[in-house]
Amino acid sequence: MVSSELILGAVVALPGLVFALVTMLWLLGAPLKERFVVIVTAITYSVAVLGVLALFVEMSSQGLQQILASFGNWFKLGAYEFPLILKVDRVSLPFAALTVILTGLVGAFSARYMHREPGFLRFFLLLHLFAFGALVIFTAGSFDLLIAGWEFVGLTSVLLIAFFHERPDPVSNALRVFAVYRGCDIGLLVGVVVLHHYHDHVTPGAAALVSLLFLLAASGKSAQFPFSGWLPRAMEGPTPSSAIFYGAISVHAGAYLMLRTRPYLEMAPQVAVLVVAVGLVTAVLATLVGRACSDVKTSLAYASVTQVGVIFAEIGMGWETLALVHICGHAAVRTLQFLRAPSALHEFHQLHAAAGGELGQTGSHYEAFLPVAVRARLYRFALDRAHMDTLLDRIVVAPLVRVSTLLNRTEYRMEGKPSGARVVRVPVAGEADA
Amino acid sequence: MGSETATHSIEHIVRHAAHLLPAQGPIGVFVHHNTLHAFQHLPFEEGVLAAARTFGTEPYLDEEAYRAEMRQGRIQASDIDFVLAGEPNAVILAGRLDRNTLRRSWLVGDIPEFDAATLDWELEESRLSEEGIRKSFDVCLRRMGGSRHREADLMRASATLQRIDEVIHPWLIRLCGSYLDQGMAYWPMPSREDGFYRSVRDLLAPKGMLLPEGLRGLDEAFRKQAAAGWGAGQVVEEMLAELGCDESQWEHVVRRELLALAGWAGMFQQLEQQPALAPHVRLCCSVLDYLAVRLTLHVVARRNLREVEAATAAADEGRVAAARLGVVARELGLEAEDLESLPEAGFCRLADAVAQFDGLERRRLFHLAYERRHEQQVLGPLQRFRSAGQLAGAEGRPAAQVFFCIDDREESMRRHLEEVDPAVETFGAAGFFGVAIDYAGIDDPGAVSLCPIVVTPQHAVREKPAEGYREQHGRRKAARRFLAQVLHNGSVGSRSMVRGWLATATLGLFSLFPLIARILSPRVYGRLRDQINEILVPRVETELAFTRKGNETVDGLAHGFSVAEKAERVAGVLKGAGLVRNFARVVIVLGHGSTSINNPHESAYDCGACGGRRGGPNARLFAAMANQPEVRVELRRRGVEVPEDTWFVGGYHDTCSDGITLFDVQATPETHNADLARIHGSLDKARARNAHERGRRFEFWRGGSGEAALAHAEERSEHLAEPRPEYGHSTNAVCIVGRRASTRGLFLDRRAFLVSYDAGEDPTDEYLARQLGAVVPVCAGISLEYYFSRVDNERYGCGTKLPHNVAGLVGVMNGHASDLRTGLTWQMVEIHEPVRILFVIETTPERLLKVMQGNAAVREFVENRWIRVSTMDPASGRIHVYRDSVFEPLATEAEELPAVASSMDWYRGKRQHLPIARIGSLQEVA
Repeated sequence: MVSSELILGAVVALPGLVFALVTMLWLLGAPLKERFVVIVTAITYSVAVLGVLALFVEMSSQGLQQILASFGNWFKLGAYEFPLILKVDRVSLPFAALTVILTGLVGAFSARYMHREPGFLRFFLLLHLFAFGALVIFTAGSFDLLIAGWEFVGLTSVLLIAFFHERPDPVSNALRVFAVYRGCDIGLLVGVVVLHHYHDHVTPGAAALVSLLFLLAASGKSAQFPFSGWLPRAMEGPTPSSAIFYGAISVHAGAYLMLRTRPYLEMAPQVAVLVVAVGLVTAVLATLVGRACSDVKTSLAYASVTQVGVIFAEIGMGWETLALVHICGHAAVRTLQFLRAPSALHEFHQLHAAAGGELGQTGSHYEAFLPVAVRARLYRFALDRAHMDTLLDRIVVAPLVRVSTLLNRTEYRMEGKPSGARVVRVPVAGEADA
Repeated sequence: MGSETATHSIEHIVRHAAHLLPAQGPIGVFVHHNTLHAFQHLPFEEGVLAAARTFGTEPYLDEEAYRAEMRQGRIQASDIDFVLAGEPNAVILAGRLDRNTLRRSWLVGDIPEFDAATLDWELEESRLSEEGIRKSFDVCLRRMGGSRHREADLMRASATLQRIDEVIHPWLIRLCGSYLDQGMAYWPMPSREDGFYRSVRDLLAPKGMLLPEGLRGLDEAFRKQAAAGWGAGQVVEEMLAELGCDESQWEHVVRRELLALAGWAGMFQQLEQQPALAPHVRLCCSVLDYLAVRLTLHVVARRNLREVEAATAAADEGRVAAARLGVVARELGLEAEDLESLPEAGFCRLADAVAQFDGLERRRLFHLAYERRHEQQVLGPLQRFRSAGQLAGAEGRPAAQVFFCIDDREESMRRHLEEVDPAVETFGAAGFFGVAIDYAGIDDPGAVSLCPIVVTPQHAVREKPAEGYREQHGRRKAARRFLAQVLHNGSVGSRSMVRGWLATATLGLFSLFPLIARILSPRVYGRLRDQINEILVPRVETELAFTRKGNETVDGLAHGFSVAEKAERVAGVLKGAGLVRNFARVVIVLGHGSTSINNPHESAYDCGACGGRRGGPNARLFAAMANQPEVRVELRRRGVEVPEDTWFVGGYHDTCSDGITLFDVQATPETHNADLARIHGSLDKARARNAHERGRRFEFWRGGSGEAALAHAEERSEHLAEPRPEYGHSTNAVCIVGRRASTRGLFLDRRAFLVSYDAGEDPTDEYLARQLGAVVPVCAGISLEYYFSRVDNERYGCGTKLPHNVAGLVGVMNGHASDLRTGLTWQMVEIHEPVRILFVIETTPERLLKVMQGNAAVREFVENRWIRVSTMDPASGRIHVYRDSVFEPLATEAEELPAVASSMDWYRGKRQHLPIARIGSLQEVA
């Protein structure tokens, strides 16, 4: 009988190994056929699903609270050591199960969807790396290890947004998402450092600080207020990657981090209140914004954020089980909806026909009680996506750009070199088109 | 008043500029048309260049693509020679070199292309580093006058415009999407009934709006406009003035502003011209409104923009030209010393000749050669086939006659049907079968036009429940309504906050079942869904209401047809196809359409002759009309001898799943059961073979039996992830108008539209004129749309469909904010050979010229060479090709016409386009 520690290790390592091996083969110049990649993917996630099932059986039959698998230390530096410990408990297991099941399904979907696409292999490699990263997050026995998974998920997310890199829009949108990720990741990194500083005796003040920092990281990853603006930009990638990242797994990673922060939140109830507030504000704003979205993917993106906001609130309230059930249900619903997004036209016309051409008018429930002018203002607010990006641009981006432009010019001036780009006066239209 | 005339003139300018916009309406109904309809008044080769300059697009494939075709033998040196023979020649170096020799060596030889960015590297390290070439380069550089830097003057201006676009597009796209939305958003945009400009102004003018940095002051600008009480036209003028343009620049600026987001602007134009195109919400659209909003945003953005960064790169054109000349000269045998010793005049002529033969010119000649080879591959075998033997005359009575649409996808279906049962005759007629109707099926929400888009139907036909089914239908309708509301509320609710919470937190996990089923086994899922539907909302028997006794009207249109009108339509189709006697006991009429999901472009696969819709009802109606005894009497009077024992049956062919449904079978007289069973069986076998032949193109399918192919085809139409439900018109290249006998037994590889026409039955050319009037615009539209979407998929087409996002139910965007993408997806055109469609018309050149004179639209297509035309003599089978306004006899190189036993023997194991072959088993019968 294989030990459950080994199974746990294997489930997590499998996608990572597949990524590494296939990448090696590719770099060595092996002619990799689509079919090979598809079969490897199918086997990988079938095995992984079985593995997770075995862990579940093991835990429930033995009544285990958790399974720990230790693989020694990655490295040791003075007093600091980086332990490679994997852990599943009743919070991790559903996440791990969702990851392997949904990645497997999205892999099967993509076998067709991405067929003949020049980036076919790249897509699958990134999918494996993503699954590996997600599994590391969900089974990390320490926050240090969690960061590694966190970065893999962020990186693959950005690379898949920029999947069609021959056009400028996907690249610039991916860059924006990357910037938000990196900015918010500071929270996770600093939080972990703070934890190490206090080591075993975390004071309430430190707990509050750590929770706040982790909330920043979680809000970035899960597109919570005020960072929701990046999510629609992430729709530049191929549909299946939108489904697995922003419908299913990646968007819930922040919620997972918050679940793991529960012990500190309990020590710092004021931050727990803040988590509830962030969640509810996000949910309300996102549902308002979603109401004005006229394209199917943006509308789904905000629908996702809305529910993730509610989930944050649930976690802040301490309703962990409810949050877990909600996450699983939400991931399943949203994945299917994202995968159906290209069929939206077909489905709408069918429903419209079946309803005899009279699908009920939406947007006339409580809105009817609002005065027309208020409704118009609310609509305008929703159309600018609750001004979140506008505010970020004004408060954070613009000053940053001003400072860096200044530094850039100063540097060139000090070196006495002409700048690589030339700043010119804006011509009037007549000149522009002459 | 002055301002009135000025407004008039700005409207005129906008209208004039707007004709360059794409003519694609809401995507739910996709009609193929010439992408460059605005340039059709020019000859093809001039039109594509003019368009390339206007839109910044590619007129032909790139040079490397043609060179690759050359390496594969798809273009041959003889084709280049043929094309050059039609080009003006000139002496370059007396006694040594003329223009065509230079061009020939350049095209046939392997001469690389250089650019300024990599030239130094080429000289140092790569293809130009050889001693001899270096020397030639030096001589050329010196004699041509050295470096020639082209300072990039326009860069600053275009960088500014680009920056402004970046600021205003996210907003403009969101506003357009919200305004044009047909029911996707939960909240419709407020006060849409006032038109785009007014509703945007009302929305953005009130104070207290937080605006992005680049659009600061937008609210104030709108407030000012509102206070001044300007209309859209006046706003456009004022904004143009503010941009510093005088009237002479208006046209240019307006055109640029419209083309910056051509897809959205084009949608406004389409809905302005035909408001009925909007599938659900009628909107008041105008290009002027759009422009007023756009220019206001532009002005504000420009005001806020203080400085832009522009890259300054200058290309050294002189060095590139020198390198090119040096290499070409060596290909012609002129070394550095020869170049050195050339007199000045000779050297200049040589340099000019090389400079004039630029990339566009080379690609033009390559393209003509590419099309010439295609012409040889098609016309040679056709003529050979005709000359090989007597045409098969009708021997006895056929087992059945089957009418298909002229569609290229039905070519293989017809061939397989004839292979399965050689006693079957097939015909091709435009798939609306002469009945232009306003039709509402029993399950449809409203009536639609089933006819070519240029026709407005005058007759309404409605489907209704058959006798005894009325009550059941009532129950079905109510149940369908109820289910639709439940599903709709579910999908809307799952996106909201509270209902979404209830739905996802409680029932969410149940989504896993459809998710798994739809991905892993779509056919099982589909069957299950159909079974559940059959239980919940069982189907009812129906019939068509199409007979008019007096002057009844339906929705303002004549109700159905009178006897004379019916006979006229039936006779028109039968006579046009040359079927006036020797009718079989059963005549099947098959309309077609295509069902697929994961495919916003689904409608592009439907029947073009039915206006981008499914043609089943037309076929059903045609058969029902032709079966009426009083119509038969009228038909006989019109010279169509339909015997009493002939029975017509309508049907529908789904070109994606290859399913065939026959309508009203229960109404068939018992005496015809055996005949119907026979053709039904043959059709079943044929559709499996057809699916098998289609399968050869799909890399995803790994082969198998006909049954397996059919299952695969069905799966494609049901699969949530399938980006290529079928290859559609992907391979279209030819249209043959003539008797089936001229093509029966030929493997045409699903590349030919087949229009049945018998010149012998049409002494006055009346039917030829009718056929061409209908067929030329439709086929040319399809061919040219595929051509342009293939040669420049990113700009004429809509790129890969993988990142597409359905916007407002009117079109697709890339990601969350892009222009509305028009044209065809890469997946639709990836295997397409971009050639202009080649017509082969079975008549004489004289008769065709006469018909052409009578139809301006056809004449424009032919004379401006947007299509290629040839005739096949009905008696001798000799082919003449239309070139430079005259028909020349076809000069063939000896084209092979291979013979094989069956279609499958010819295509098995091959994916690429296949040459025409003779299918043996049929030949014996004939």
